[in-house]
Amino acid sequence: MSLDATSAPLALAPARSRRSWRLNPSSFTARFLRSRTALIGTTGLLLVSLAAVFAGVLFPGDPLDMVARPFIWPFTTWTYPLGTDMLGRDILVGLVYAARVSLAVGLAAAALAVGLGVLFGALSGYFGGWVDQVLTRITEVFQTMPSLVFVVVVVAILSPSITSIVLGIAITSWPQIARLVRAETLRLRDAEFVQAARVMGMGHGRIILTHILPNAISPVIVAGSILVAHAILTEAALSFLGLGDPNLISWGSMIGSGREVLRTAWYMTALPGIAISITVMALNLLGNGLNDVLNPRVALT
Amino acid sequence: MPHFPSRLPALSRRTLLSGAAATLLVPATARLGAAATTSSESPAPKAGGTLVAVLDPEPAGLVAGITISAPAVAVSSNIFDGLVDYDEGFKLRPALAKSWETSADGTTITFRLRDDVTWHDGTPFTAADVQYSLMEVTKKTHPRGNAVFANLTAVETPDPYTAVFRFSRPSPVVWSAFNGTETQILPKHLYEGTNPLTNPWNSKPIGTGAFIFKEWVKGDRIVLERNPNYWDKGRPYLDRVVFRIIRDPASRAAALETGEAQYIPLNPVPLADVARIRASKDLVVETRGFEGPAQMYFFDFNLRREPFGDIRVRQAFAHALNRQALADTVFYGLAKPATGPVPSYQTQFYTADVPQYDYSLAKAEALLDEAGLRKGPDGVRLRIDHIPSAYGEDYRRAGEYFKQALKRIGIEVTLRNYDLPSYVKVVFTDYDFDTHSAWYSAYPDPQIGVQRRYWSQAIKKGTPSSNASGVADPEIDAVIARIQTEGNVEARNAQIRELQRLAQAKLPSVNLLELSFFRVYSRRLAGIEYGPFAGYQSLKTVWLES
Repeated sequence: MSLDATSAPLALAPARSRRSWRLNPSSFTARFLRSRTALIGTTGLLLVSLAAVFAGVLFPGDPLDMVARPFIWPFTTWTYPLGTDMLGRDILVGLVYAARVSLAVGLAAAALAVGLGVLFGALSGYFGGWVDQVLTRITEVFQTMPSLVFVVVVVAILSPSITSIVLGIAITSWPQIARLVRAETLRLRDAEFVQAARVMGMGHGRIILTHILPNAISPVIVAGSILVAHAILTEAALSFLGLGDPNLISWGSMIGSGREVLRTAWYMTALPGIAISITVMALNLLGNGLNDVLNPRVALT
Repeated sequence: MPHFPSRLPALSRRTLLSGAAATLLVPATARLGAAATTSSESPAPKAGGTLVAVLDPEPAGLVAGITISAPAVAVSSNIFDGLVDYDEGFKLRPALAKSWETSADGTTITFRLRDDVTWHDGTPFTAADVQYSLMEVTKKTHPRGNAVFANLTAVETPDPYTAVFRFSRPSPVVWSAFNGTETQILPKHLYEGTNPLTNPWNSKPIGTGAFIFKEWVKGDRIVLERNPNYWDKGRPYLDRVVFRIIRDPASRAAALETGEAQYIPLNPVPLADVARIRASKDLVVETRGFEGPAQMYFFDFNLRREPFGDIRVRQAFAHALNRQALADTVFYGLAKPATGPVPSYQTQFYTADVPQYDYSLAKAEALLDEAGLRKGPDGVRLRIDHIPSAYGEDYRRAGEYFKQALKRIGIEVTLRNYDLPSYVKVVFTDYDFDTHSAWYSAYPDPQIGVQRRYWSQAIKKGTPSSNASGVADPEIDAVIARIQTEGNVEARNAQIRELQRLAQAKLPSVNLLELSFFRVYSRRLAGIEYGPFAGYQSLKTVWLES
């Protein structure tokens, strides 16, 4: 343990229930609460998630509705604090609702990619031999393709919709998870506790699920949070290229439509751009923070 | 604006030609607040210099009789000529033909050709080229040529400089199609015996035009050079024209503003940038020059699908779409509401005396209730999809506008955007849509551009800009048949007005806007033409002021 023994996890626990709430300084929660990056990231993400969840309560109605005169600049009227776009849609309402789509795409794509990656990685790492050969070759095929171009092709073939976008992003991002899980599984496969489980007569499935994956999962969680950020950016890039789902509003689609009027009304591009930056930054901070928290060799200050 | 000096004398002459020519008088009035100023008309043209023009998208070939996309025509008209040309009043002007006359029964047109024209490879131009171009290229491969020249049975060449066109019945419509942007004359000696569609000369064309093809660097530029032996003596003035291909609209605007390019004939800059460019001291935004193609924007239903067979449903859509708001917001004022399928500036055909559907959500809702489409508990009475034209962001934004407008009357629209090839396949081959919005060119004669939207025989699977919505109405078909066969100009115009009335009464498609296309060019350019096809026309009259 290289943890700084003088750092005070105690201070974080409420004073009156000191005994019962005392945290083990090396527990996940305690380490998480001491990681500044993880906390900042979580706070940012929480704000965005709250906006996404309560969008309907904050602004009932349709975010795509044309409510006012087009081209109202931000901070010129209280009714539309962030102004309106070229069709007279309220930009603030758009930003809040777009958080839903962007986060949903990010989480769904990352979840799907992690699922695929874990499956491929665990199987190929655990079984080795020809299973490994075949699965690794398949992974490599996907890895050799430039990911954005590949997503564009997938989405263009399936016709732009939220499902095809999630699918496209997941298909291009799972190989990195697969390689990560494979490496971890290779490391764990001959560990003593796994050998013990094998001697006890456990099946392969049970060994993978109960012994290998739980020990391999921390780098996956870190990679997964970065993947969410990557997926949000990819969705934005697709919408920017006109391949977004036209029936939903996302930050990328707002940038894509604002781009045409960049010279006359730059705020239409800048505002959703800021939203994307904040969210991606929060996710990256969370990812880095988790990396530190989950690695017992890193000292947290 | 032009006062058609020839109209009265032309009508007093007896030949069909004069009558036909009169029908072609389209006022080239400045539409919809055309450019406030035009380039300075210096009396003495200056020779020399290189003009950089910009194209988008890159054409597939450079022969307009084979590749009819607008950018192909804009380049091709510099390399090839037609038999005639149109001036700003839509009057015929000699080009490869010096003069022409029509027989009293209207079934024979005789062209006297210039005898001083050579192809760019030195071969003399003769009537055989005209015969070959019309019978083998225009009639067989041109997507519109077959319909326009349907009654042309033969082109005879009694001598090398006379071409006699024989028609099975009078065809006034052909006078709207003899110009060089529509019916080009190709070199027989290079095309005869080959398949014109795959002839290698299509990408390194040999023409009779003002400019000679020099090189085509795919994805970057097409270079043309001055034809020193051009028959129109003294012209062209420019030494060289370079068409650069720039895909990004913002970069096109930047190219103009930095002076890197001087002329963009088609789709120059995003509509949102027009106001800013109009304010520029160095640039001109010109809306004249598109009265010939005459782009009309409309909202189509897939009539094969329910509930669009019910006219009340279609009327409800017409009442729910605010055309003025669409013109003002989505098209930034570069459009005006259409009252029917024929543009209002084609005054010899246009009639305002047709059923109109004012913007009224109450009427729309009442019609839908009456048709049995009542609102469900979620406020939705109908769920449909909509495919906007894939020809640019503006049309996609119009789709977003339709979605919101129709939501107000309880119609939930799912938008489906496609890239261009998929769009053509889904809409014109698979007919896989509920509703669709796009623009078609109406062309200078409704028989060329308008009838294809309403004629049952224009339901052609796989043909872009055909009757995709499946309009098949015996009454409309009968009127179209009379327009095609009527030789008397006045009687024919009456039928054209009847077509407009039927189109609005039966409402198979909602006519939305007369779009105002525009060119942007540097004030250094002089000699710019404003005729009905000027947006596509040759740059032979243009020179650069220093």
